[in-house]
Amino acid sequence: MPKILLISELNETTREISQYIEQNDCKYFLCEQNEENILRQVEEINPSIILIDVDYNNAEFLTKQIKTQTQAQNTQVILLLDKNQDIAYLNFADGFITKPINKNILIHTLNSHIKIKKTLEQMSENNKELARSLYQLNVLYNTSSQFTGTLDKSKLYKIMLEALEKTLSFDISSALLFDSQGEAKLYINSLCEPTENLKEALGMRLVLSYKNLFEKQTLPHDITLDGIEIVQNIKPSHIQNIFDLRVLNYDSLFAPIKVGEDFFGVIELFRKTPFLKEDVTCFQTLIHQVALPLRSATLYEEIKNTNIKLERLERLKSDFVSIVSHELRTPLTPINNSLEIVLSEQAGPISDDAKNFINMAKRNVVRLSGIIEDLLDLSRVQTGKLDFKYKVANLAPSLELIQKTFEQSGQEKNITVSLDVEKNLPEVYADTHRVEQIISNLVTNALKFTPEGGSIKITAKKIDSGEINQELLVSPFYPLSGEYVKISTKDTGIGIKKEDIPKIFEKFSQIENSLTRNIGGVGLGLSITKQLLDAHLGAITVESKEGEGSDFSVYLPLTDEKKCFIMDINQALGCTEEVGILSIKENENCGFIEEILNQNLIKLTKKSKELKLKDKYFALLVNINQSALEFMEKSVMEEAKKPQWEKCGIVLKKVFSKQDGKDLLKILNKINL
Amino acid sequence: MKKILIVDDEKDIVETLAFMLKSKGFECICAYDGEEGLKLAKESSPDLIILDVMMPKINGYKICRLLKYDSKYKNIPIIMVTARSQEEDKIIGEETGADEYITKPFEFNDIIEAINRYLG
Repeated sequence: MPKILLISELNETTREISQYIEQNDCKYFLCEQNEENILRQVEEINPSIILIDVDYNNAEFLTKQIKTQTQAQNTQVILLLDKNQDIAYLNFADGFITKPINKNILIHTLNSHIKIKKTLEQMSENNKELARSLYQLNVLYNTSSQFTGTLDKSKLYKIMLEALEKTLSFDISSALLFDSQGEAKLYINSLCEPTENLKEALGMRLVLSYKNLFEKQTLPHDITLDGIEIVQNIKPSHIQNIFDLRVLNYDSLFAPIKVGEDFFGVIELFRKTPFLKEDVTCFQTLIHQVALPLRSATLYEEIKNTNIKLERLERLKSDFVSIVSHELRTPLTPINNSLEIVLSEQAGPISDDAKNFINMAKRNVVRLSGIIEDLLDLSRVQTGKLDFKYKVANLAPSLELIQKTFEQSGQEKNITVSLDVEKNLPEVYADTHRVEQIISNLVTNALKFTPEGGSIKITAKKIDSGEINQELLVSPFYPLSGEYVKISTKDTGIGIKKEDIPKIFEKFSQIENSLTRNIGGVGLGLSITKQLLDAHLGAITVESKEGEGSDFSVYLPLTDEKKCFIMDINQALGCTEEVGILSIKENENCGFIEEILNQNLIKLTKKSKELKLKDKYFALLVNINQSALEFMEKSVMEEAKKPQWEKCGIVLKKVFSKQDGKDLLKILNKINL
Repeated sequence: MKKILIVDDEKDIVETLAFMLKSKGFECICAYDGEEGLKLAKESSPDLIILDVMMPKINGYKICRLLKYDSKYKNIPIIMVTARSQEEDKIIGEETGADEYITKPFEFNDIIEAINRYLG
């Protein structure tokens, strides 16, 4: 029933009015006390209409007060005027009626103002809701951008709970959330300290709801409520108050957090004031929003864990090879020693047969130690621990030494080993010891697979990359360009089937290939050879005909600034964990880089290197972590934009981690040194 | 008779090596860990030392350094015998001052040749 307040003295007019009002099904109040009481009454009753008799004391003051100072702003104030009366404060009121009262006009006026009051109330209610929705939308929007910023599950949960608190202003929330190991935690966010009973009840409700979701299917994660960890977050300002089981009678919202098959948990909110339709929408939107980044986070965690496992396995493997080789080598020493003692007859004379067999044992000890040597080399090459001592070198003396060594072993099988080195063979940038190892491996193989009476020819000459038969190349690690020294070993052995050629460079290739197994060796030689050549930015070709013989040719680049630079960097990579590389064109003064690094406490490590290429390029290898690398990239590039460095044409080409030396080389190549 | 000190924690290696060296007319004294090796090197004034790298108590590199930086002993030739293991890799690269390196498993001839270079 609409309420109408009449402010007037009791007189004929008021009696008349009150009659009409009651006839019109409205409730009527009459005020004639002092102003203070009237204003209080206005707040209390919150009438639809206030009729003020202008003849009443203080009518002007009351009109202004009611319209500006009270909560009843939507209340319609109607003044009772005498005919032709003119008052200044009329525009504070919402309408007027002239005395004497005409019943029809009064009722009509009252009814339309009751309608106006209703509409105004509805509007302000709508406005409030709109404001709330707008606020919720804002929070949702902010939250969604926060969600995309992290791949950390617990952070995502935290953002979600904070957003729910802001948008839905719940009294208490409980969430059962699973981590990547499938372990659940109970998160309780509350305005007041919850009792133990309540906590238990909240947990139980969630577990039950969770199990209900998967009534007939298997649960994504097993769960028991015993010993479940509770993460509690209580608003510090309300810490004295307590929430007990009565909270369960509050209005509640529940939702599972999931995307497709991925299940992350369940959540329930409680609020004393009922949740509105918009609240439900907001709740569902938020829960849906968090699920997607949670899935990404799960995938990310999985990938990260797999990576860690793989890295560990790789390390284990190389450690294993290294340890095993060492452990094998130690007992091999006294075996070899003892055989030598017996053979030398220092420990007493032995028969010729015994000598033969001891010799056989000794030959196999030598073979075994060769295999161990190969294994160790291989594991070192792969882990980047193999040290290369590059220098500008003439290979002719090395080749002569090899020819002499193998000439003797060849004689035992009646195989000639010849050498033909081009006059004035150009110099290469190489580790001569490793080059000797490469050629020795090839000649050893040739000897192994060449029948008695055959020949092995070693030749060395300069050629241009254009002359290299691309079809015969075995997966070159670095693109061929410029001039090379070509060293070939051509034998008259059993040859290799064309389809088998790529296989012989794989580790342990001979073990898999039963045809050649009886020849001996484990097939590590060529795999190592290939890796050593890769380090030298070299290449290898194989030409072979079954039954006629094989021709293995290796190519080592002539001393070339750019290639030397790359080889040096690659070598240095073996010494540092994380690597940052700056290349600076026409380097004039790179001191500022070091200054920036020093200012930010990024130290160049002992083993970090500064490599220079004819004042044109500059590489700095530093042993720092990833974030420091990123920082370096940013700050150095900012500095480089300054006009004083314009001339230097500084290019910082990405920052690398040691992880993939091959990628690094590719990128360095693209820098177009 | 020239006196050679053999230091290695592998008894079998020491035994076979000592047998062979004795038959070549050397006098041999043996130590089975780093501490004992260092003590004997200082007390028994050997003419040459054959030294293993990885040993309990004190590793071979350290012994070598201690002797080579001591004017009293620095003239004793030292032949290091290495298994090129990972642990060795970690300590390698430090200046030890050894006169000769031989990789396990070794040939007697290599050892004898090396000895003769210093004592021949």
